[in-house]
Amino acid sequence: MNNLNTSNAFIFNAEIDANYLNSLYGDDFIYLQEVYETVLDDYQSLTDNIEYSYSSGNLAALRSAVHKIKPVFGFVGLVSVQEQCQRFEQICGNAGSPDHLTSDFESLKNIISQSKQIIEEEKKRLEIFNSNCS
Amino acid sequence: MSLSCIIVEDLQVAANYLKNCCEKSGQVEVRGHFSNVTDALSFLNSNTVDLIFLDVEMPGANGFELLDQIAFSPKVILTTAKQEYAYNAFQYNVSDYLMKPFTYQRFMEALQKIQPSRETISTNSASDHIYIKTDGKLIRLNNDSILYIESMGDYVKFVTIDNKKYITHNTIKNLEEKVSKQHFLKVHRSYIVNFHKIDDMRENLLFIKGNEIPVSKANRADVFKRLNIV
Repeated sequence: MNNLNTSNAFIFNAEIDANYLNSLYGDDFIYLQEVYETVLDDYQSLTDNIEYSYSSGNLAALRSAVHKIKPVFGFVGLVSVQEQCQRFEQICGNAGSPDHLTSDFESLKNIISQSKQIIEEEKKRLEIFNSNCS
Repeated sequence: MSLSCIIVEDLQVAANYLKNCCEKSGQVEVRGHFSNVTDALSFLNSNTVDLIFLDVEMPGANGFELLDQIAFSPKVILTTAKQEYAYNAFQYNVSDYLMKPFTYQRFMEALQKIQPSRETISTNSASDHIYIKTDGKLIRLNNDSILYIESMGDYVKFVTIDNKKYITHNTIKNLEEKVSKQHFLKVHRSYIVNFHKIDDMRENLLFIKGNEIPVSKANRADVFKRLNIV
């Protein structure tokens, strides 16, 4: 994670890679707010898909569901979470059964849940930031 | 606008970002966004585009199944990063991969790759030969000497009757318009065959001097029309 968590006047959460976001969106905070809104709109269905795949013991579907949500974290600057999804995909590919994944899955689930809170908070702060700028 | 495209992507944030990149480039007109293969196919049954931005893993059919079913050969840029798709991507003449999320600069690099080569082949469709540019020189190939032409991403391979292979920078789509219609027929998005060299055909495969050539569903009817079945 970069130490620089500011982009112009907006100060991002420490978990968010501001430089990475800057490489994607520049200083377009209006667009970034839309990105966060879009991600939150889809978040529940993406996480439900992960949960359902795990509970049904379908490793291929679980891997695919995690693969699907993975870039979402990149779009919102949570690059480390994106990397953890990648690692989980690999673990999932090597696991013989869902029983071998219990601790890794619980860990990922917590990270994904915490990430949602961060995204929600950032979206709210961006709304305020953008309304003050306009 | 010089290129028309569709986006086939079920992740909304990725599709929006891609649309934004297309608009920003001023080079690509987005004619539609589809979140599954069925809807994309429905559109492509009555419309053509130059380019498809294609996710592979989607609910229902995957992206490659879409490419199997369309009757023309657009350029394809995959928006996925799985290594296991590399072989398929090669077969389907995929121009580039974009690992989500990608920067605008990376998007523009991918766009630059899809400009078709127009300088590596010289031919007249009524002629009995073509010239291809390979290894820094122009080589004449008589139509009768060519068995088939195979896509290799941004390159194509000419396989000749003496089992020589010539690789040149070009695309099947571009060649399809240039080679002699009396000799050649596209049978798959990755293959053009010399019609006079076909030994036999079984289900979805053609055999030419021991080489197996796949025939796509979309091209199967054309192949049968050209076969001199008695």
